Amino acid sequence: MTRKADPIQSTRAEDFDYMKVNVPCQDACPVLTNVPAYIRAVYENDFTLSYNINLESNLFPGVLGRICSRPCESKCRHGEKELGKPVNICYLKRAAADFRDRQVPRETLIHHRISKNVAIVGAGPSGLAAAHDLALSGLSVSVLEAMEKPGGMLYYGIPAFRLPRAVLTEEIERVLDLGIDFRPGIRLGKDITLAGLLKDFDAVLLATGCYHPRRLNIPGEAFDGVFSGLQFMMDLNSGRPPRVGKKVLVLGAGFTAFDCARSALRLGAEDVSICLRRTEEDLAVTREEVLEAKREGVRIESLMVAKTILGNGNLKRVEFIRTRPGLPGTAGKREITTIKGSEFVLDADTVIAATGQGPEPIPILDERTPEGIVTVEKGSFRSPVAGLFAAGDYVTGPSTVIQAIAAGRKAAAAIVTEMTGRDCRERVVRIEDTVTTDRPRTWDFLPTLEIPTLEPMQDRFDINPKEVELGYAEEQAQTESKRCYLCYLHYEIDIKRCIYCRYCIDVAPRDCIKLVKRMTTNENGAVTGFEETSVWRDVNGIIIDNSRCIRCGACMKICPVDCISVSKVQLLERPIGRAEEA
Amino acid sequence: MKEEHFIIIGMGPSGTKAAITLRKQAPEARITILSKDAERAFTPHMLPDFIAGKILEKDLYPYDPSTWDDLDIHIRRCQRVTDVSPGNGHLLLDHREVLRFTGLILAVGGRPQIPEPYLPFQDLMSTLKTVKDAKQWIEKLEGVDSVLVIGGDLTSLAVAKALLHLGKKVFFLINEDAFWPLRYDMDLMRKVSERLSQGGVEVIPSGKLGGLFRNANGKTQVRIDDRTLQVGMVGTFFGLAPDIRFLARSGFSMDRGILVDEYLNTGFEGIYATGDCAQVYHPGLRDYWVSIGYENALNLGRIAALNLAGRRVQAKVSGESIFKVRGVNVNTSWWVEF
Repeated sequence: MTRKADPIQSTRAEDFDYMKVNVPCQDACPVLTNVPAYIRAVYENDFTLSYNINLESNLFPGVLGRICSRPCESKCRHGEKELGKPVNICYLKRAAADFRDRQVPRETLIHHRISKNVAIVGAGPSGLAAAHDLALSGLSVSVLEAMEKPGGMLYYGIPAFRLPRAVLTEEIERVLDLGIDFRPGIRLGKDITLAGLLKDFDAVLLATGCYHPRRLNIPGEAFDGVFSGLQFMMDLNSGRPPRVGKKVLVLGAGFTAFDCARSALRLGAEDVSICLRRTEEDLAVTREEVLEAKREGVRIESLMVAKTILGNGNLKRVEFIRTRPGLPGTAGKREITTIKGSEFVLDADTVIAATGQGPEPIPILDERTPEGIVTVEKGSFRSPVAGLFAAGDYVTGPSTVIQAIAAGRKAAAAIVTEMTGRDCRERVVRIEDTVTTDRPRTWDFLPTLEIPTLEPMQDRFDINPKEVELGYAEEQAQTESKRCYLCYLHYEIDIKRCIYCRYCIDVAPRDCIKLVKRMTTNENGAVTGFEETSVWRDVNGIIIDNSRCIRCGACMKICPVDCISVSKVQLLERPIGRAEEA
Repeated sequence: MKEEHFIIIGMGPSGTKAAITLRKQAPEARITILSKDAERAFTPHMLPDFIAGKILEKDLYPYDPSTWDDLDIHIRRCQRVTDVSPGNGHLLLDHREVLRFTGLILAVGGRPQIPEPYLPFQDLMSTLKTVKDAKQWIEKLEGVDSVLVIGGDLTSLAVAKALLHLGKKVFFLINEDAFWPLRYDMDLMRKVSERLSQGGVEVIPSGKLGGLFRNANGKTQVRIDDRTLQVGMVGTFFGLAPDIRFLARSGFSMDRGILVDEYLNTGFEGIYATGDCAQVYHPGLRDYWVSIGYENALNLGRIAALNLAGRRVQAKVSGESIFKVRGVNVNTSWWVEF
């Protein structure tokens, strides 16, 4: 790691490699949100700064603070085996959105206006993210949306009790206010053709998402009383609540399944069960989601898969077969096998099959897969058709909101490069001197703070949907923020000055400081490994293993010769040509 | 030659039985029982009799402390396991000690579970799992003339019997949503209700628990449907939730319990689960079941130990005595004993 007294903006590969390993939360975020910085801002009671740090990367902090899949938390160093539980990063994002100054400064153009126009088909998270970046890059942007409201799955796929519409609308309007021409109620293939769009616009980005429910492919699927999870939620969020019976079975294991189950209870169902192929332990939804669903009365039944829907045109019962999980495969997911002769039947008035969805075929040009889906080059988002790009769930299949935003932003960058011949944003690693942490070690032992939820329970079933998760109070957010180790701090030993007293090793709370025989680096010069030794004559250096370091600063405080320094290392994005503002 | 070291996690009836069986099968092996509690091994099913005053505290302890020395079984109390690495054959204790094993039996038991809808009221609900819990029941019951029992597990009826023996008024809330078998049988429910009523219990059928609060005179007021009941104490008996969260990263297949085959094997060589924490597919039921109750625990502990020692013994259960509680089939015949 290169260090200078003044802050430097590094674009060296070794520094990017360092960030990847040493700030795992930021690296796990598809849009590389600067997590330690915004958590620190919460601690410093600057919720507006925290919100703005989020805004730079993920564009919808208020929304994501409620519904993000939280890849950062699963990588949080505080969640490592002997270190307790991850920081509730997502709740802190929400706190930033809840307590910020409501007057967000208007974003300014990165470049002067360019006389090029781009049509984006689909106003979901991917399309809106692309629209945001393209508009700021000076292009004229039109967003065409088949539905009445912008937001895509955010609006039509997620219930209001999880994501209040006021929060969603405010953050979408902030994007559309960048001068974007939003055209609702226009369906590609019906109201317009792709050929027409390609003629009228310099570039077209398909971000139409996944609105094609995956079929169960079992007998009885077309019976009355059987819904797809997607259609169920879309009807509900369009103001046409579906009629549900007393006993509802939801087939599926994702957030949509939970949304459907919890919504069914709000629509009057009395007995709602989510039926899983695997087990509750294998669920990808958050622990809080499972708890709240159960508290509301949803039952979770595991190790079963629907085989036949029984009835005479009307749903009566569902025949299931038991499953058996194997050991986790290489991807961590368990293989499931059915158990021969284990069929059993459950009564049901309503079945909701929330088993996923795929992109809708677009009746267009020849350059597509046999299913009618346009294919694109990985990374460039460019299709074989000149001027045609595609991104988001339409390309990848169902993903998370944060992945869709990342895809939209990357696609926008590719379009800008194609339109202007140059990049308009770049990533830099900003390295600056700082003081050692002011976190007392006791903060490492603070328990996680659960998020308050709506009580009493009957209030959740009010005719007007109320948000269930209430969010932290300001003081709670600050308390939770104390738990963050601030992994963007980088501690380093100057071995030229070190006297090898090993006091630092003695005070280290875990094995993060090591006597080494030799180190290995990758082709970029980043340290990738080291050979530790306990034989004194073999010691050629002493290093801080930043992937193990919890940034307690104890080593720096005890060093008798002040040979340990600390710097703040942040991965940022800046407009090219405006480096001084990064 | 590598020393054989069998570790048993859990010192309940199943774990202790497994250890004793293992000692017979492997006289030379090193055997260690890890317990997170400080308590001696006791017989949980006798706690209601202890509350009723029918037995003394010493009767709760089936083993003399010298038993373990005599059998050369090493007991380590207050040892919380935080992780198990099945592939590496070691486990981690919360004070960072690593223990290596050649065979492992998971007999971690469970902790009293309270269904999620009732969590807001848990401070006003008493559970019964340990000797300490039983002593608290005895203390509380001194100033109480009536008790509401919620939940339908093995312990609930034994406690109801104990309370009747002590001359307390007993209410029993039968609520299909909250505590009765998930897909319960009306006929069975009627039979159980009748038996309870004949025994002097006031059954509150199909009630929906609306809330609990403590009033100024220290009594607990319970809202059930439109009725408000005032009782001295509320006991909840929703079975035990296997205490297996610490295994979440270990790679075991887990549902309500640890999924095992009919030989109680977890899918990893030399690692078995037994007692309340083991869940196995039952072809007769076409469902997974867990086994609760003292005799079942002993039986499964014995089978796990025999199989770890190289035998091939199947865990069998008779279909008639299996019920479904909160989505899991349980093997017991408790209700007929009331």
